[in-house]
Amino acid sequence: MSPPPARDAAPEKRYDLVERVVRVNIVSGRLRPGTVLLEGPIAELVQTSRAPVKKALQALEAERLIHVFDGRGYLVGPPHPGLEPQRVDLRQLGLDIPEDIEAALRSRGSWERIYVAVESAIASCLAFGEYRMIESDIATHFHVSRTVVRDVLSRLQERGLVRKSQTSRWIAGPLTAQSMRDRFELRKVLEPMALVGASADWDREQISQLRIRAEAARQQTGDTTFSGSDDIEAALLQCTVLKAPNAQLVEFIQQNLLPLNAANRILTQLGLPSDRVAIDEHCMILDLILNNSIEPAAALLRDHLTMAEHRSIARLKVVAVIPNPVSFAPYLIRV
Amino acid sequence: MTAAKSPRRGPAISKSARPRLRVLGTEITLLEPLREQAQRDLGIDISFEVLDFVEAQRKAAMQPESFDVYDQCFHNLDIVWHWRAIQPIDTQRIAQWGDVSELTKSGRLRAAASVGRGDAPVKKLYVQPGQALGRRPSRYISMLPTVYNMDSFVYDPGVFTGFDASQATWGWLFAEQARGRLALVDEPAIGPFDAALALEALGLMQFSDIGNMKVPEIDQMMAILNAHKREGFFCGLWKTAAESVDFMQSGRASIQSMWSPGTGAIRGRGIEVVEAVPREGYRAWHGGLCLSSCLSGPTLDVGYDYLNWWLSGWPGALMSRQGYYISVPSAVRRVLGKDEWGYWYEGHAALRDLPGTDGRIVVRAGQVRSGGSYAARTSHIAVWNTTMDEHNYLVRRWTEFASPGPL
Repeated sequence: MSPPPARDAAPEKRYDLVERVVRVNIVSGRLRPGTVLLEGPIAELVQTSRAPVKKALQALEAERLIHVFDGRGYLVGPPHPGLEPQRVDLRQLGLDIPEDIEAALRSRGSWERIYVAVESAIASCLAFGEYRMIESDIATHFHVSRTVVRDVLSRLQERGLVRKSQTSRWIAGPLTAQSMRDRFELRKVLEPMALVGASADWDREQISQLRIRAEAARQQTGDTTFSGSDDIEAALLQCTVLKAPNAQLVEFIQQNLLPLNAANRILTQLGLPSDRVAIDEHCMILDLILNNSIEPAAALLRDHLTMAEHRSIARLKVVAVIPNPVSFAPYLIRV
Repeated sequence: MTAAKSPRRGPAISKSARPRLRVLGTEITLLEPLREQAQRDLGIDISFEVLDFVEAQRKAAMQPESFDVYDQCFHNLDIVWHWRAIQPIDTQRIAQWGDVSELTKSGRLRAAASVGRGDAPVKKLYVQPGQALGRRPSRYISMLPTVYNMDSFVYDPGVFTGFDASQATWGWLFAEQARGRLALVDEPAIGPFDAALALEALGLMQFSDIGNMKVPEIDQMMAILNAHKREGFFCGLWKTAAESVDFMQSGRASIQSMWSPGTGAIRGRGIEVVEAVPREGYRAWHGGLCLSSCLSGPTLDVGYDYLNWWLSGWPGALMSRQGYYISVPSAVRRVLGKDEWGYWYEGHAALRDLPGTDGRIVVRAGQVRSGGSYAARTSHIAVWNTTMDEHNYLVRRWTEFASPGPL
């Protein structure tokens, strides 16, 4: 499944939170000068992955609150001759983790974990019918607050995977040909237009590289679950259509794509052969772009989208032979 | 029967054994006399795997290594084609491709006739650039057209007294006389069409395109059907010809979806039923043969032999005896003989009792085929069986409706 979206609203980034924890303890003296700081033990202590810890330590080093030495990790404090590395078990130090930071870290971890799980559960059921969800059921299932659940569902709503019914219930599915048609209709209007608008801003080198990649993917044979065409399409949009200067247009296009991409992933995961023919179409569009034939490229993009629409609907039809799975996540209620 | 152990290869052909061909399909065409005749005529061993309509399609789509030839219908094509379970057929290897009838190749017998809603076979026949299927002629086809027919429904004239046969309409399926005694066929690309034609005939629904229903239309239709189910309007659903015969013979059903072999069988038992000629037109279907995507080498050649044999006359003649037409009628005419051709194709009164596929009498002397001649019947098509855009959605809704127990 796709990585959860970055949370760019008010909540602090995890590396900021980790940095604050380490800083507080250095300033208070709990972490004495010379104490060895390693990513792994800190990550375990604050219950995050190592990436935000790494970033936090780099930031603290830049401020000279810690420094590198000729061993692994960092030493607390500025460099000092004669400072001996002290290798201690951080858990024994009684480090101070301010409650607000602790809560924030815990809910950050939960949020991502739940988002991934719920997105996956919903994606697996969409082809099989219509389902509803109750926030408190999900909260109980994952042992978190309803606030976290509501936030997760709102994000899924933005991605087009769930919606609210007229009675304000959370609903997912069913995946229908009509919903796919509606999205493709928008694509056919918006994307060729954006392509033309982007032509002043794109990177020719990037596009050339993509053309080479597309050719290599096209030559690949034998793999019946080939998903390369999905990657090529995403890359094609990324370096052309989504470079349009009209930020609103770009955002619309991206939003519109989300449920279609989700549907496509679902169909591929159900075992359907992927769309290899699309790569030929991508190559032709890229050739026209590299040849500076922008309007023809836009027209060909529209044709490609028409054919992609037919293929997507055909793929959805064939899902019919797959029987309903025996079990879904317990918080999904068949409508 | 067991499939070859190694996936994606046909059965090994040993030097001493005869070539072997595995055919997957349904009771519509996989008749024992056919299999035996094919073995004799082609000098090969043939095994038939007969499943119900839904299972045959599923197995074909998901296990192409388990069959060599797939024998079902054009409305199953979307499914098996997009699962990449079948390979294109080269029409240059089909000796009688030029003799295949206009109905199949162009969708209508005469220019003036309507094509009928839904997937007329021509819409799925030819392989197009980009591996789509369409009506633009090309060298390669998806399915070799074989048998076809126009279906309606049958009713017990003893129950539907006073109903004028010449005014028959699909709407009779939901007449008061049908209450508690209606059976439909349980196949999600067929049964819903019988129901839809009935609801439209009664003015209870109006489809923008009955051959490609929209989600709200499906919802509305299923709501009506589910309401009827709760009231006990249906006596059941059937999946095989034997079950359909049983419904009428036992008297449990007095009106129902029925197909030609079932009608013949029940008449052969002396039970009087009327096969309706609905004024709205028939629901049509077209069968055909496909080659597994796993087929290659000598077994592929044997597959083509089998396909060609199907159009050579004898198989079509056998199929005629259950009321099915064949895509190359000229070959069949030579084999059938005047009396049988006259009844089944030309709509003349039978000059003598006529046999079905198992030799038992299914037509009494003097009877006329319901709907008349081939030309008349094929000009009166309302809709073709179709895998519609919302097929997946419809299948799930229909399966709920068809499941036993209350809603």
